Amino acid sequence: MLDISTWFNDLLAGNTIFTADTLGYYWEGLVTTTQLVFLSLIAGLILAVPLAIMRSSKHKWISLPVYLYTYVFRGTPLLIQLYIIYYGVVFIDGIQETFLWPVLREAFYPALIAFTLNTAAYTTEIFRGAIKATAQGEIEAARAYGMSPRLMMRRIILPSAFRRALPAYGNEVIFMLHASAIASVVTLMDLTGAARFVYARYYAPFEAFLFVAAIYLCLTFAILFFFRYLEKKLLAHLRPQDA
Amino acid sequence: MAATPTPLEVRNIKKRFGDTEVLKGLSLQAQKGDVITMIGASGSGKSTFLRCMNLLEQPDDGDLIVHGEPVRFKTTKHGREPEDWKQVVQMRAKLSMVFQSFNLWAHMTLLENIIEAPIHVLKKPKKEALEHAHALLDRVGLSARANAYPAQMSGGQQQRGAIARALAMDPEVMLFDEPTSALDPELVGDVLKVMHGLAEEGRTMVVVTHEMSFARDVSSQVIYLHQGLVEEAGPPDQVLGNPQSPRLQQFLAPKY
Amino acid sequence: MIDLQGYGPRLIEGAGVTIQLAVLSLILAIILGLLTATAKMSRNWFLRRTATVYTTLIRGVPDLVLMMLLFFGGQIGVNAISDMLYYNYDIDIYINFNAFAAGVLTIGFIFGAYMGETFRGAFMAVDNGQIEAGKAYGMSSSLVFRRIRFPQMMRHALPGLSNNWMVLLKTTALVSVIGLTDMVRVAAEASRATHEPFTFLLPVAVVYLLIASVSEWIFARLQKRYDIGFGGQ
Repeated sequence: MLDISTWFNDLLAGNTIFTADTLGYYWEGLVTTTQLVFLSLIAGLILAVPLAIMRSSKHKWISLPVYLYTYVFRGTPLLIQLYIIYYGVVFIDGIQETFLWPVLREAFYPALIAFTLNTAAYTTEIFRGAIKATAQGEIEAARAYGMSPRLMMRRIILPSAFRRALPAYGNEVIFMLHASAIASVVTLMDLTGAARFVYARYYAPFEAFLFVAAIYLCLTFAILFFFRYLEKKLLAHLRPQDA
Repeated sequence: MAATPTPLEVRNIKKRFGDTEVLKGLSLQAQKGDVITMIGASGSGKSTFLRCMNLLEQPDDGDLIVHGEPVRFKTTKHGREPEDWKQVVQMRAKLSMVFQSFNLWAHMTLLENIIEAPIHVLKKPKKEALEHAHALLDRVGLSARANAYPAQMSGGQQQRGAIARALAMDPEVMLFDEPTSALDPELVGDVLKVMHGLAEEGRTMVVVTHEMSFARDVSSQVIYLHQGLVEEAGPPDQVLGNPQSPRLQQFLAPKY
Repeated sequence: MIDLQGYGPRLIEGAGVTIQLAVLSLILAIILGLLTATAKMSRNWFLRRTATVYTTLIRGVPDLVLMMLLFFGGQIGVNAISDMLYYNYDIDIYINFNAFAAGVLTIGFIFGAYMGETFRGAFMAVDNGQIEAGKAYGMSSSLVFRRIRFPQMMRHALPGLSNNWMVLLKTTALVSVIGLTDMVRVAAEASRATHEPFTFLLPVAVVYLLIASVSEWIFARLQKRYDIGFGGQ
């Protein structure tokens, strides 16, 4: 342990870029990125469940609006969505007078809204696919036991659909982490923002960006392992039993 | 010896997969017009032996001489390999193989399948290749299906098409790898009839098969393989009519 | 009609940049993807390892970070070369590290990794008997690749390819951040200057949707073409 800390101090002393100051920026960036990604994923997930159920509906007027929403948000760059919300929110009539204004004036919340709407669209489609893939036999069995459609959705279809959706949702989480890098474009000091700041200050692109790339790589692997662990636990029933 | 070199000669072919030696030194000589059938239980190595003849499998030892030209080998860290793949490519063009599972190219029509190798390997002019292809289709009774894709044809049609594809190469020797094993029983007859005709017109053929009637009626030589070795070989009357080894007697018994 | 306040021609130019960038990156990504897939299936340990490291690293880091690394780092690298030439050989040239080239290189490089996975799966899905038949008829490996392996592989690769293309198309928007004047940058500039964000950003969003729809149609036609001969269409 002592070795590591002396090694670390030597490393810090030996270069002009990774001072305690810049490492502080990266730390703040890490906090901002984590908050943004985590909050937007949670909010997106909450939105996506009812949307996916609506999207799976047989009634056109219920499923079509959801389809339009996912089509638009999945078909256009997140950056455009972010710009529209970031620049556009100012122009909503009378917004400056409401209690929302102090919140929306900061870049964090427009970014959070854009990310949430974006991930909700992707997650909706992931869940819809999983719901559609429910084995017909399971649905028939539920019907045969007299379950109402609502009960069947809650007890049979959704639990198995969530499990099936897990691998794809893991990819979506990684995708969101990477996509969050554009928050730096609207002046947010996320991880990428910190790297840009360090680059601009020391004109050291390799150090600044390689370091942040390494952090993202670690985060990606952490997410990957977490989802692999979840899959192992939750999808155990799908694996053939060992003899 | 005759002025024309022996179409195909293999000597002392050995092949192992991991720890099991599947071919323990097999030889065969196909003179022009010979029809050699190889029989044996599954796992006896007959298909592997056939696949060694055009180097779809690399033999670990032994010689391969096609039309008088020996294939040169070298030893690498992956094992024994042909020294010159160009030579192998030329050699293979002289030996047409007909597969158990037909292996007609799925993304091409039957006609396209037949002219593919003549045009791109033998560099024949397209017109000539097409004329030849139509004649061959007529011969195997598939003129009407020239523009069908393999998936649209029955197994028997596919195999007859595959034979036409093999004939289009004007091969020195035709290799048949259990050509009727994947077919429904009622489709076997048509394919055998075509092969019968080929034997009659003097084609040199090496056939791995389970069809004892074909072996008896058509072949000039029958080879019975057991566990990677030749157990008995000779004219069909002798090998099939008067089997010596108890194993071959047993192999033949239940079918008669 | 919407009043684009004089930004119309620049927006159209920007759309041109977006499309060129996307198509060139796609070509580069396909080439890299084929190479990566080949490397991953090769017998050579070193090639397999290199390809795995490439795909893992690329997929672990945000596109924007890679883009900035290449763009800002690339300029320094190029400057170092021209400095070296000047001091050592007295050759005075200024090489401008072009944002467009950096964009194509980065996007192509990133999506090459994804394409590699797509192609590898597709190559493995081709029935080995089809390849063997080619070999057995004296086709050289390059002929087998061109006439059999590639066309049959494409059928399996197209859905993934189409998906990658849609993501790639949206990724091109990021080049606006490193200073390339694509349609997103023009629209963002116009929004700031005129305080009318919707006028510019919404049409650009529609253009993306349009390109996506047209590509979807093209891919459906390609799929039909490569599905020929395989039952069930």
